[in-house]
Amino acid sequence: MGVMIKVTNPNAASTTRKQPNFFQRAIEQWDLQLLVIPGILLLFVFSYIPIYGLVMAFQEYRIGDFPGQSEWVGFKQFIALFQDQNLPLVLRNTLAISGLKLTIGFVCPIIFAVFLNEMSNQTLKKGIQTISYLPHFISWTVCAMLLFDFLSTDGGAVNEMLMGAGLISQPIGFFSRSDLFWGLALVSDIWKELGWNSIIFISAMAGVDAEMYEAADIDGATRAQKMWHITIKAIKPTIVLLFIMNVGGILNQNFDQIMMLTKQMGNPLLKETANVIDTYIFQVGISMGRASFGTAAGLVKSLINFVLLIAANTIADKAGENALF
Amino acid sequence: MTGVKETRHKMKVKKVFSDYVIIVSMVVIMTVVFVATLYPFLNSLAISFNNADDTILGGITIFPRIPTIANYRQIFTNPTIWMAYGITFARTIIGAAAGLVITGALAFGLSRKNLEGRKFYTFFCLIPMYFGGGLIPTYFLIMNLGLYDTFWVYIIPNLVNIWNMILMRSYFQSVPDALEESARIDGANYLTIFFKIYWPVSTPIIATIALYFGVFHWNDWFMPNIYISNPNLKPMTSVLLNIIAEASFAERMAAAGAGAFVGEASHGKETNARSITMATMITSILPIVIIYPFLQRFFLKGIMIGSIKG
Repeated sequence: MGVMIKVTNPNAASTTRKQPNFFQRAIEQWDLQLLVIPGILLLFVFSYIPIYGLVMAFQEYRIGDFPGQSEWVGFKQFIALFQDQNLPLVLRNTLAISGLKLTIGFVCPIIFAVFLNEMSNQTLKKGIQTISYLPHFISWTVCAMLLFDFLSTDGGAVNEMLMGAGLISQPIGFFSRSDLFWGLALVSDIWKELGWNSIIFISAMAGVDAEMYEAADIDGATRAQKMWHITIKAIKPTIVLLFIMNVGGILNQNFDQIMMLTKQMGNPLLKETANVIDTYIFQVGISMGRASFGTAAGLVKSLINFVLLIAANTIADKAGENALF
Repeated sequence: MTGVKETRHKMKVKKVFSDYVIIVSMVVIMTVVFVATLYPFLNSLAISFNNADDTILGGITIFPRIPTIANYRQIFTNPTIWMAYGITFARTIIGAAAGLVITGALAFGLSRKNLEGRKFYTFFCLIPMYFGGGLIPTYFLIMNLGLYDTFWVYIIPNLVNIWNMILMRSYFQSVPDALEESARIDGANYLTIFFKIYWPVSTPIIATIALYFGVFHWNDWFMPNIYISNPNLKPMTSVLLNIIAEASFAERMAAAGAGAFVGEASHGKETNARSITMATMITSILPIVIIYPFLQRFFLKGIMIGSIKG
């Protein structure tokens, strides 16, 4: 019967050697760091350096200045922003369009996904799904071209149909009436993104255990009940999560879309309802050269977005739903 | 899937009123989506292949009445179009490939738990998603970096996309660790591990992200608009913008087919502004439209993984 003798090697490194610091450890895994460094550097240059440019919001930029070197004016730009006569209008437009998209626009992909899930013919289901995200892959430029053609007063398909059905006597000038723009923005956005936005719901539904449906059948549930209690319940976390993320972006109106539909804000007839925060900042900041003002506006917008995101997240968290963080 | 289950357990449940409502709604919704999505494209396709004079008469739906390739012939004999198409292709391929490598490497590194500084790097990557300098400081940066009016302005600022990076990171995290471990035991360094081992088994996410980057580059009109003035560097999107903004641009292209710039609305011709517009548009979306159905299974899976891992 031997006795276990614990031999401690007096030369063991762990107790006497100093722990390598971060840089030493990093250099040891230079190969791993090398994979990461280019991306980090690029992010630093193109995402962080412009953050420094935010100081322009506290300055008065003049053409020819190097950004960040202009005269300091404190909060002058922000005061100007809040006193700007155009701001209420722009804000109203942004919130209106966002509001529509957040309600009607948000619900449509869900409805589509739920009903798509009810389809029994798998080939047809796959086919419709594939077609449904076709518009997502085309640009807003192309989408606008399609819309201009379809809604044109001169032989456009929609007007022709409406007149042919006797519903209207004159073609509707879809792009010359500011009151129609919000609806136009909403419908075109739904048209374009319905299929794509429904993907996330469809994949959430695919994860539902088939046994649940079987059990419901045995209990005599109707299709409607199954839809509500199983399918929709299964995607509830996804719905909440997505909703939170969308609320966080409420001030980010789809710049691409608005620019294309208004021909880069070249259509004066639509200005009253189409000008949103992003297009306004673009106009003022770049086209009109008031870079400091534009930067200040962008900064305020970012802050509000951030606050909204936190708020929406907290609400969801308190309500017991899955939160973003 | 509900459908499969219903055929197997043929329990003759009496159909309730709500069942009919659902079935009818389903049919209506699917039909509407199908038609509303497809019709505009088929219509444009038809007009692009149709004799322009005939189109003016109206009534073209999804088939050309008097077929002609004159519109396309017109487009492809125009050097501007070739140049623009070339730029679009170049930026898409280079931009997507380079973006994949840079963003992918970053994502891979961040997915390795033994990365020194991982928490810091991750935090560093997430901040810009919520907070940015905005357009104006970025504009000045681009100018000062000397990227203005160069082809590289399309590529370099777009090499890292945080959203794509997150999706790729989730994917790499889901690959079994054993792959990495055995490679490390064999003495491979991480560069080899990433490019020679992980890359080949990551086809789904690579296809997905290649598509995302690709579509971005293909459709982007904003960067050429504000950062490029050299007409030889303008992509197809700029051509489309010209057509929108300047009705005469398309008109000129149409009239050029007659050998002389007429300047009047071209009657009695095979091509006119509208048909040229449609043809140009179809040309610009064709590659994407053809490719995306084949990549479907990849991005569907990619979105699923991304959403599960949050």
